[in-house]
Amino acid sequence: MLSRVADALYWMGRYLERSENITRLLLVTEDFSTETQGLAEQVAQAAWKDLLAIFPAAQVGAPASAFAPLSQAYLVGFFLDPANPYSVHYSLRKARENARSVREALTVEVFLAINETFRALDADARRGLVDPPALRDALSAAHKGLFSTIGAIEHTFTRDDSWLFLKLGESLERVYRTALILRTKLPALGASEPRADVALYYTQWRTLLRALGSLENYRRAYGARLEPQLVVPFLLFDPHSPRSLRFGAEAVKQCLERISGEPGPASRIIGRLHAGLCYHDERAAPGGDYAPLLDGVVDASGQAHDALAGQYFAT
Amino acid sequence: MKWVPDTSAYDETFDRAAGPRPHYRALVTTLESFTQTEIDRRERLQKISLVDQGITFTVYGEKEGLERIFPFDFVPRIIPAREWERIEAGLIQRVTALNLFINDVYQEQKCLRDKVVPPELVLSRREYKRALLRLTPPRQIYTHVVGTDIIRNDRGDYLILEDNCRCPSGVSYVLENRNLLHRVFPEFFTRYPVRPVREYPRLLLDTLLWSAPRASENPVAVVLTPGIHNSAYFEHSFLAREMGAFLVQGRDLVVEDSAVYMRTTAGRQRVDVIYRRVDEDFLDPLAFRRDSLLGVPGLVNVYREGNVAIANAPGAGVADDKAVYAYMPALIKYYLGQEPLLGQVPTYVGLRRDDFAYMREHMAELVVKTTGDSGGYNMLMGPFAARREVDAYLAQMKKAPGNYIAQPLIELSSHPTYVDGRFEPRRIDLRPFILYGETIRVLPGGLTRVALRPGSYVVNSSQGGGSKDTWVLAARNT
Repeated sequence: MLSRVADALYWMGRYLERSENITRLLLVTEDFSTETQGLAEQVAQAAWKDLLAIFPAAQVGAPASAFAPLSQAYLVGFFLDPANPYSVHYSLRKARENARSVREALTVEVFLAINETFRALDADARRGLVDPPALRDALSAAHKGLFSTIGAIEHTFTRDDSWLFLKLGESLERVYRTALILRTKLPALGASEPRADVALYYTQWRTLLRALGSLENYRRAYGARLEPQLVVPFLLFDPHSPRSLRFGAEAVKQCLERISGEPGPASRIIGRLHAGLCYHDERAAPGGDYAPLLDGVVDASGQAHDALAGQYFAT
Repeated sequence: MKWVPDTSAYDETFDRAAGPRPHYRALVTTLESFTQTEIDRRERLQKISLVDQGITFTVYGEKEGLERIFPFDFVPRIIPAREWERIEAGLIQRVTALNLFINDVYQEQKCLRDKVVPPELVLSRREYKRALLRLTPPRQIYTHVVGTDIIRNDRGDYLILEDNCRCPSGVSYVLENRNLLHRVFPEFFTRYPVRPVREYPRLLLDTLLWSAPRASENPVAVVLTPGIHNSAYFEHSFLAREMGAFLVQGRDLVVEDSAVYMRTTAGRQRVDVIYRRVDEDFLDPLAFRRDSLLGVPGLVNVYREGNVAIANAPGAGVADDKAVYAYMPALIKYYLGQEPLLGQVPTYVGLRRDDFAYMREHMAELVVKTTGDSGGYNMLMGPFAARREVDAYLAQMKKAPGNYIAQPLIELSSHPTYVDGRFEPRRIDLRPFILYGETIRVLPGGLTRVALRPGSYVVNSSQGGGSKDTWVLAARNT
């Protein structure tokens, strides 16, 4: 396929995945923040501030009024602000622009879904929504629209190289962003003690699972027992949960193998990463310190991206 | 239901004395069975559908990348089988002559030596590409896709207004308008044998591959687009998808060892036919405009060596010239020994001294156009222009009389169009699409453009026009 088209599909996949990640993080953080703001404002504040570490170039404006809940400014900034490079609006616009530039490579259903979802979101942005319940409704609607788009891709796309480049972008974005979220959230979570406030402590862990779209998957594996020493390895190494790092790395690896039979620079990086996650030795993370491992995942994702661009997209 | 018939022009639907014309009776009856509320509901449905599907075009001169929908009017334009037969035969004749003319211009130039067309009229034009002299395109076809603009005068005669032999656009709307009308008013179709237009992409692909220069089992055809900011980008992408062809930009192509290749994720892949939707001046910076970033350096050389076909062939633009148009009836006689089957609009050519004198004296009655422009840009509508505009335009004309032609204002036919809850007359034209492959075929249908402003004569999408579904009826076996 054309290098330019492969490049656009890869970015369309990345931006769609990113839109979905941000949307989910906003919905989950908003819940958490509303629940905890009155009880432990510091914790609620921190949950929102984490977003600025997960999306480094992002910025958020001042709250609308003194009575506005904490979430209000973050919701506006990360959902509808067209200028924030990590808002849902920005990411979905980029996904649509990429889709539009290679419309002939997509099915009608996929373009319709992404176009409708973006237009609804753009209309919300133009209306200048600031009211938190209205923002939440709009976020939920956007989330549904994103799932329609992903479903249309799943149901209508030919499984050829176009599909593989799209999925490659999606999986690589997921691995990279999941590692960033864990790297940001784990230090504080690991340091907190259940003794201080049991309910809050478990809410935080449950929120982490939800933020990574993994709460129900976790319950399937371990039931309602919410143990940090189970949660973290689950998010890192579970072979079946679609948002674990291992699962994501495997998806990237399979796409790369199917695109080219021979291992290129990107598949070597991802192959090693995947092997590391498959054959991880608990003794390599004494005391549950996964920071070096997560740093490694973030670095490998970046290197794999550069290698891909050099091998397939360079013109 | 309110119908406002036209009293100043040929009304396509209503006979002034006798009510709806026979081929419109069933449609008028069907429409009258709807309540106003229902019609408005359907119209809203149709608008939403256009935006959701992203059927848009880009308007130049406004903010870059601004997408607009091309307004669609749901009252279809109906052409009876017998009228279409005449149009079709006339178009095939005309396109045959146009292609012979272009071949002649780049080969022997017999028509210039025999003074059928003044040589300076052709040889001085920007569209005449000296670099392509003595070059024969594959199968001697220059005009693979032609979009000819046709109007009807106040007597209802079909007249050719303009030939578009370079990159005629609009065919995607022909197909999408039909889809849209099927969805919004399925009732309309129950009583009419409407000929389908769905086959166009397949016919286009056949036409393109017919010109493939290389004996190959699987020749590769691509659509070359300037990119997402081009006003017709939707159409480029639509046609590529419908044909199952690659949509490429200049930077996707590369010339190596006298062949054209695409840059793909699996290396280079050979290209046989390029359906170019890039202006020919921008095709190849080495051959034409050096500042072109849209083109492919070396492309014209590969074409010259016969290793790639380009549709429409570079150089075809000489036939688009509005002054050449004036000589088309003579050229049809010259090449085919036939009388033209379709009439055209009387044209004054600035190059002829007498004509120019007439133009100067009668500016206020004439429509004056520059020979090289299209899309309704740089024209003067004498009857509606202010004195100052006429004077300014005339001053420009005097600098280069040969660049101008003039025509009397033709009262374009009008057609009921749904505006603010009423069916009002609006002026229309017709652009059929003609494909030149193994044979010449005319798509049974076309783009009917409608001037949405009351009284306006300008139907171009870039100037606020809309469009209608165009029905060509099958001959009934009765």
